Amino acid sequence: MNAAMPWLDARRAEALESFRLKGVPHRRIEEWKYSDVRSVIGAEEIAAADTAKWQIEGETADVDVVDLSGEIPQWARDRFAMLGLHNAMESASLAFAKGGIAMRVTGNKAAGPLRLNWSGHGHARVFIVLEEGASLTLVEKHAKARGLRNIGTEILLANNAQLSHIAVAEKSDEAVGVETITVKVGPDARYNAHFANFGARLSRFDITVTLEGEGSEARLSGVSALGGGTHADVTTHIIHAVSHTQSVQLFKKVAAGKSRAIYQGQITVREGANGSDSRQTAKGILLGERAEIDLKPELEIYADDVKCAHGAAVGDLEAEQLFYLRARGVPEAEARNLLIRAFLEEAVLEIPEEAIRAEVWREVEAALEHLV
Amino acid sequence: MLEIKDLHVTVDGKEILKGLNLSIKAGEVHAVMGPNGSGKSTLSFTLAGRAGYDVTKGSILYRGEDLTALAPEERAAKGIFLAMQYPVEIPGVTTLTFLKASLNAQRRARGESELDAMSVLKLVREKAKLLNIPEEMLRRALNVGFSGGEKKRLETLQMALFEPALAILDETDSGLDIDALKLVAEGVNAMRSPDRAMLVITHYQRLLNYIVPDRVHVLAGGRIVAEGGKELAHELEAKGYAQIIKDAA
Repeated sequence: MNAAMPWLDARRAEALESFRLKGVPHRRIEEWKYSDVRSVIGAEEIAAADTAKWQIEGETADVDVVDLSGEIPQWARDRFAMLGLHNAMESASLAFAKGGIAMRVTGNKAAGPLRLNWSGHGHARVFIVLEEGASLTLVEKHAKARGLRNIGTEILLANNAQLSHIAVAEKSDEAVGVETITVKVGPDARYNAHFANFGARLSRFDITVTLEGEGSEARLSGVSALGGGTHADVTTHIIHAVSHTQSVQLFKKVAAGKSRAIYQGQITVREGANGSDSRQTAKGILLGERAEIDLKPELEIYADDVKCAHGAAVGDLEAEQLFYLRARGVPEAEARNLLIRAFLEEAVLEIPEEAIRAEVWREVEAALEHLV
Repeated sequence: MLEIKDLHVTVDGKEILKGLNLSIKAGEVHAVMGPNGSGKSTLSFTLAGRAGYDVTKGSILYRGEDLTALAPEERAAKGIFLAMQYPVEIPGVTTLTFLKASLNAQRRARGESELDAMSVLKLVREKAKLLNIPEEMLRRALNVGFSGGEKKRLETLQMALFEPALAILDETDSGLDIDALKLVAEGVNAMRSPDRAMLVITHYQRLLNYIVPDRVHVLAGGRIVAEGGKELAHELEAKGYAQIIKDAA
C-alpha cells in the first residue's frame, strides 16, 4: 500500500474524505452511543498513527498470504476496498494504513488453522478471499497494546466457501482497539465467527455480514468477561439480502467492577428475502453495582414468511440457583463461579474446533479468576 | 438431634412462623403436615438457611449447636439436607459435575480428602442403580428438562450420596405418580437409621403410607397445633385440616 497505485489512491482519497466528514465517532452518534471514541482519542492522533504489526502462524501451503505493505496482488485488485466504508474508523484504516495482510484460499482447499497475531499499534487492512468451495479456520489475536489499533477487515466468501473466524482481544487497559469487519457471504457459503473480548480502555468489534447468496449462513457468537474499568463492545449488523438465508447469534457477557459490556445487534431482512431465518440471543450478568451491560437488539423486516426470534436480558445471578448449590454444600464463591462459567460456556461451545474452543475457554477462565 | 423452640420467622416483612416448637431425636422420622400457607416451606427453608427467611425470635439447635448463624453450605457440611419441593434447573452444569462439586465441598469443609472423578462416578453409579437413575441422566444439565419424577429421584440420590444426619423432605410427593412415589419412598426408607433423623413435610397423608413416621405434627398459622402418632395422619385425611385445627383450638 506504499507504492503509488492510482486505482487504490482514488479509494483512499475517498476514505480520507469520509473520515474528515464524519469525524471521530462519539456518543451522540446512535451506533456509537456506548463507545465514545472521541473521548479517548482525537482526529490528529488517529491520522498520525503508525501501522499495526501482524504475524502469521500455522501451515500456509494452501493459502496465498500477501503482505500489503508492498504491492497489492493482482487477484485482489478488482475487489480490494470495495465493500463500502461502514464507519469513520474503517475509513481511517483505509486512509492511513500503510500495510496489512491479504489471504486467499482457492479451489476446494481446506486451510488452517492459521493464526493472525496483532501487536503494536496503528492502522491495518485485512483482506480475505475464499474462492468457491474453499475453507479456512483463522484465529485472530489482539495482544495487549498501548494506544490505538484500528483494523479494517474485508471478507469475501464465494459459493460454498466456509470461514471459521475466531477473534480474541486480550485484556488491555490502555488500548483503544477497533476492528471493523465486513463480510459478503455467497450462495451456500458460511461465515462462522466468535468474538471473545476481555476489555480495553475502549474496544469494539463492528461486524457487518451480508448474506447475499441463497442458502448462505452466518453463525456469530461471543463472550466478554470484564472487570476494572474496561470496556468491550460487539456490534453486529446482519443483512438477509436474499431468500433462504440463515443467521444465528449468541452473545454472553459478564461485567464486574466499573466495566461496561455492550452488544448491539441489528438484523435487516430485505424485501424479497423471504424464508429467512434469524435467531439472536444476548444475555448479561452484572457482577458489580457499578458495572454496566447494554444489550440492544434491533429488527428491520421488509420480507414475508420470515422467522425471527430474538431475546436479550441482563440480570444478576439467579438467587434460587445460588441457594440450591449452597444448600448442597458448595460455598458461595464457588457456587457463583460455577454458575458464571456455565453461563459463558454456552457461547464458547459455539466454536466448532475443539482445540480452539479449549484455548478460548482457558482465556475465559483466566479472566474470571480476577473477577469472581 | 433437632430442637426448635418458639421459632418466629419473617419473610418479606411478614411473620410466617409464630412460635413453632419441634423436637426430633436421632433415629426418628417426624412428619409435619399442614394446609397451604401454614408455613411448611418457610420451616424447611429456614432450617436450610435460605436468605430472606429471618429468625426474629426463638432458637434452632442442631446437635446442641445454634444453626441460625450458619450459612447454607455450613449446614450442609454439618449433615443437614433439604430435599426441595421444586429442585432448581441449572443449565450448563451437568448433574455429575454438580454432584462432584457438592460432595467434595462437603468433604473439604469437614476436613476429609476430596474424591477424584472416578471415585465419585463409582459412588454415584452405585446409588443411582437403586433409584433407577440412568447414567444418561447424570450427563445432562442439572434438572434441566427432567420430569417431576426424575427431579425427585435425583434429590433422593443426593440424600443417599451425602448421608446427612438430618434429612428434611419438603413435599417430596408433589408431582409424583404412584410408581415414582414408591421408588422415592423406598430410597428414603433405605436411609432410615438409628443415627439419622428425618423430617417429612407434606400436605397429604398419601406419602406417609410409604414413609411411616414415628410422630406427626400439624402445622397451622405458623405454629404446631396438634401432635400425635402415625394415626393422626389418617385422622387428618378423614376429617380434614379445618376440623383438626378446630378441635385443637
